[in-house]
Amino acid sequence: MAKTRMALEMGMGSSLRSGDYTRAAIRAVEDALWRNSISFAEAFGFDKSDMLIDISIGVQKPDLVDRDAVKAVLPYGNGEVKLLEGGLDIEKPDGSGVTIMANAAIIVSFDMERVEASGSGATKPDAQTQGAEK
Amino acid sequence: MKRLILEMGMGVDLYGGDYTKAACRAVRDAIGHSSLSLFRSCGFSHREMQVKVTIGVQEPGKVDADAVAEQLPRGNPVVTLVRGGLNVEDTEHGDTMVIAAASVEAFLPVDADAWKISVPSDDG
Repeated sequence: MAKTRMALEMGMGSSLRSGDYTRAAIRAVEDALWRNSISFAEAFGFDKSDMLIDISIGVQKPDLVDRDAVKAVLPYGNGEVKLLEGGLDIEKPDGSGVTIMANAAIIVSFDMERVEASGSGATKPDAQTQGAEK
Repeated sequence: MKRLILEMGMGVDLYGGDYTKAACRAVRDAIGHSSLSLFRSCGFSHREMQVKVTIGVQEPGKVDADAVAEQLPRGNPVVTLVRGGLNVEDTEHGDTMVIAAASVEAFLPVDADAWKISVPSDDG
């Protein structure tokens, strides 16, 4: 079954005055993550560190986002950060620059599969399933 | 039943002082920023899901719980109303801004023994 999508979280972040795309992106990721509390690892008996986290950031100038700073927001799990052209820049009325909006989408996955033949006759686990148990 | 996710949201009614409206908006805010993909990818049915909604407002007795439950498309939600949220008084105009806090919890009967993390294959 391999990489299995469990949830999608979405958030929005802004930089009002400093024109900082990284800050807007970090706030968008925090907004997405801290609105929800996910308990998949507990429910399925996995480790939190087994979580695979794919972050997509949309801002008007993706080249100006510090990928590592965005990744550093994650409390655990393996993160990948994709920077895309999106979000929204809004011109300030006095022409002094832009207000930045960043969109974040976070996909939480596990590399998981069903345990074969659970509860059906075959009680002796093979070497592979034994290896998977902690 | 295991809790899979807790979604949090906030809703306001600025001029009407309507707690039900604020509560409904809080629920929509809570559920609108995430999606549980595991129903599709792991083969669970929405019918197995149980949903618990808790609304915090300053006057919980004034919330129409059925209207709040209707905000959720599935999961036969159980709505609990508690004292919470926040009211902001506009003494100058004699108006009250109502803020509602909503928590939406989704539960599913997951059998942890039926699932495992894939072992990386050597020939991968």
